[in-house]
Amino acid sequence: MKIIVDNLKKTFGEKVAVDIEHYEIGDGDMLGLVGNNGAGKSTLFRLMLDLVRADGGRVLMQPSEAELSAGLASGTVNVSLTEEWKDWTGAYVDESFLIDYLTPDEYFQFIGRISGRSDDDVEVFLGDFEQFMAGEVKGQKKLIRNLSAGNKQKVGIVAAMLLQPKVLILDEPFNFLDPSSQSAIKHLLKDYNSRTGATVLVSSHNLQHTVDICPRIALFEHGVVIRDIDNSDGQAATELENYFEV
Amino acid sequence: MNKLQLYRLLVAQQQIKNARHPMFDKNRFMKILMWFMMLYYAAILVFLGSFLPLALRGVYPGVAAFHVLDGFLVWLLIVDFYARLSLQETPVQQIRPYRLLPLRRSFLMNIYLLRSGFSIGNVFWWFMLVPFGAIGVLPLLGWGSFFLWLMGWLLVCVANGFWYLFCRALCMKNLLWILLPLAVHGGLVALMLLPDKNPLDMPCTRLMYGYANGNILYIMCTLGIIFLLYHANYTLQMSMAYNEVAKKEDVELKSATQMNYLNRWGALGEYLKMEVKLRMRNSQVRMTFLIGISFILFFSIVQYFSDVYSGAFMTSFICLYDYIVLGLMTLVSIMCFEGNYMDGLMARRESIYALLRAKYYFNTSILVFPLLIVLPLIVTGKASLWMHLGYMSMTAGLLYPMIFQMAVYNNSTLPLNQKITGKQGNTMQQIIGMSALFLPIGIEKILVLLLGNVWGYVMLMAIGAAGMATHRIWLRNIYNRFMARRYVNMDGFRASRNT
Repeated sequence: MKIIVDNLKKTFGEKVAVDIEHYEIGDGDMLGLVGNNGAGKSTLFRLMLDLVRADGGRVLMQPSEAELSAGLASGTVNVSLTEEWKDWTGAYVDESFLIDYLTPDEYFQFIGRISGRSDDDVEVFLGDFEQFMAGEVKGQKKLIRNLSAGNKQKVGIVAAMLLQPKVLILDEPFNFLDPSSQSAIKHLLKDYNSRTGATVLVSSHNLQHTVDICPRIALFEHGVVIRDIDNSDGQAATELENYFEV
Repeated sequence: MNKLQLYRLLVAQQQIKNARHPMFDKNRFMKILMWFMMLYYAAILVFLGSFLPLALRGVYPGVAAFHVLDGFLVWLLIVDFYARLSLQETPVQQIRPYRLLPLRRSFLMNIYLLRSGFSIGNVFWWFMLVPFGAIGVLPLLGWGSFFLWLMGWLLVCVANGFWYLFCRALCMKNLLWILLPLAVHGGLVALMLLPDKNPLDMPCTRLMYGYANGNILYIMCTLGIIFLLYHANYTLQMSMAYNEVAKKEDVELKSATQMNYLNRWGALGEYLKMEVKLRMRNSQVRMTFLIGISFILFFSIVQYFSDVYSGAFMTSFICLYDYIVLGLMTLVSIMCFEGNYMDGLMARRESIYALLRAKYYFNTSILVFPLLIVLPLIVTGKASLWMHLGYMSMTAGLLYPMIFQMAVYNNSTLPLNQKITGKQGNTMQQIIGMSALFLPIGIEKILVLLLGNVWGYVMLMAIGAAGMATHRIWLRNIYNRFMARRYVNMDGFRASRNT
């Protein structure tokens, strides 16, 4: 699924949160978004998910030929005009995505069933995340609100991937996670991207992790993509370190 | 910083907290309406206070009017207790933001407990008592007794306020404690209504007369009770504050109900399960629900044992109230609890439409509870089956469509597990709430007048049935309008989350 950001603008009062003339994220790309606090990464994600109103411009999702012929989508969609894209998009931005009075198992079951997936299918899918969840999420008789911040984060990420989406959007997925889980999610995301050909967007303040998993990195400043860095050879680290060095 | 400066700072912050609440701040109509309602109730009380002494003199010749009023002390205190529900916060909620700061918790607790217990709201009854006393007490007993009588009423209101705070704090620990005030008040009501002569009448009269005469023993005893209630509150709420800091919550879910029988409805069944769990697992939602049921029980018991509500208007009003109270208490703020996870819902296709349908089915199905509660009244002929069926049907088919409109306009997140104060709400909620309470009675009266008792209620049922049959159409319309307003609503939900 290709994502096209076209003349997208969002301001909060005087502050420009997002101002992108044109930006394309190719089908199957794995893009990392980096930038300081307030650079506009999360707002861009919210605009892509139609959670905030854009002051101008649009976000389009354009299916590939294969996706069109598979009947996954009817054509290019503007995310603010239709809900069709929600069928193939998984996202986790923050805790407001979680229904915190459910247990993780209930939440996964809920997401699975409203998306038309069978319970067995969901169970098989969750099996791949056993190491990531480290026995602290699944099978727990705890409500999500009583989980640690890291485990809530895991629930959100797994639920976003549960749909096996063609577009996966994760805002700061490494936050709150212990080192083992950070390593596990890196492998899971890379594997998911290469296995399914899904378009994956990840924002993070952790430059090393972003460089490790994303062949392409967009550097944000004041709502603008100031650099579009090719990281296919893993050489973006130096450029990013130079930029962020005080 | 000395204690006085700290006190002033805390009070200022409390005022800022209220004034800067996102909904309160932007809703000028709400502010005006609140003041208007206060003035309205104050005017009613002033009217009652001016009118009652003369009326009571006519009804009870030879008895001083204030003695008769004093006999109703317990009734007034029960009303006073429940009026505090939406207005008074417990200190343990107020000290929450300061619990990890280097401030003495005992100092904070004392400040908030004193401010809460001795709040200005305690003198609200004076709008009635001052004119009443000026006419009924002053000419008979003089200025001194008039003043002491007023102070006596104030003391019992203060004691009642601390009793309320104590019960409220217990309910925060475990919702089952709600049974304590319900049992006490239920017992008192039964004691006052069941015997031919109210046995609490004379003690109340003596107590208030004692105050008026400056009886030191009575005053000291009341002060002693206030002190004991204060101390009980202090101890209880301090322990709760400590528990919050060293939180060791019982986080294990004892039983995770599956509700597999709802699976047959697919995705809709999942949203229905969510509705049930929303009420079972969130103290604020559960409390609202239980209070609604308690009101129905209370009015049914009063209707069963007395003729207080046997007038034509009150019979209709109570009947309507039985069915609409649960909807009014939960549906007027429809989507506000969901504001906590609205972004997640909005990321799923048509999830809001499925949620609206689930809410409608759930709320329609629970209408059977009021019917079951009032069944003894119907069987004993104290209530009309036709009237109840008519109002039940109209609630599902006419009032719910009206109240569900709030899903389009509500955009303030309500906390799932913290007390909601009366400062939240919006203009539409007030208008819809008022309309739902009084519009149906007008419709009923017109239909009964035109068609007679049975056919009037059959027509009510037909109106309700039409609304129920077309529910998908009007729910879809609400959904479409919700989606058209989604950005405004989501901004509101985000802004008011965790405030």
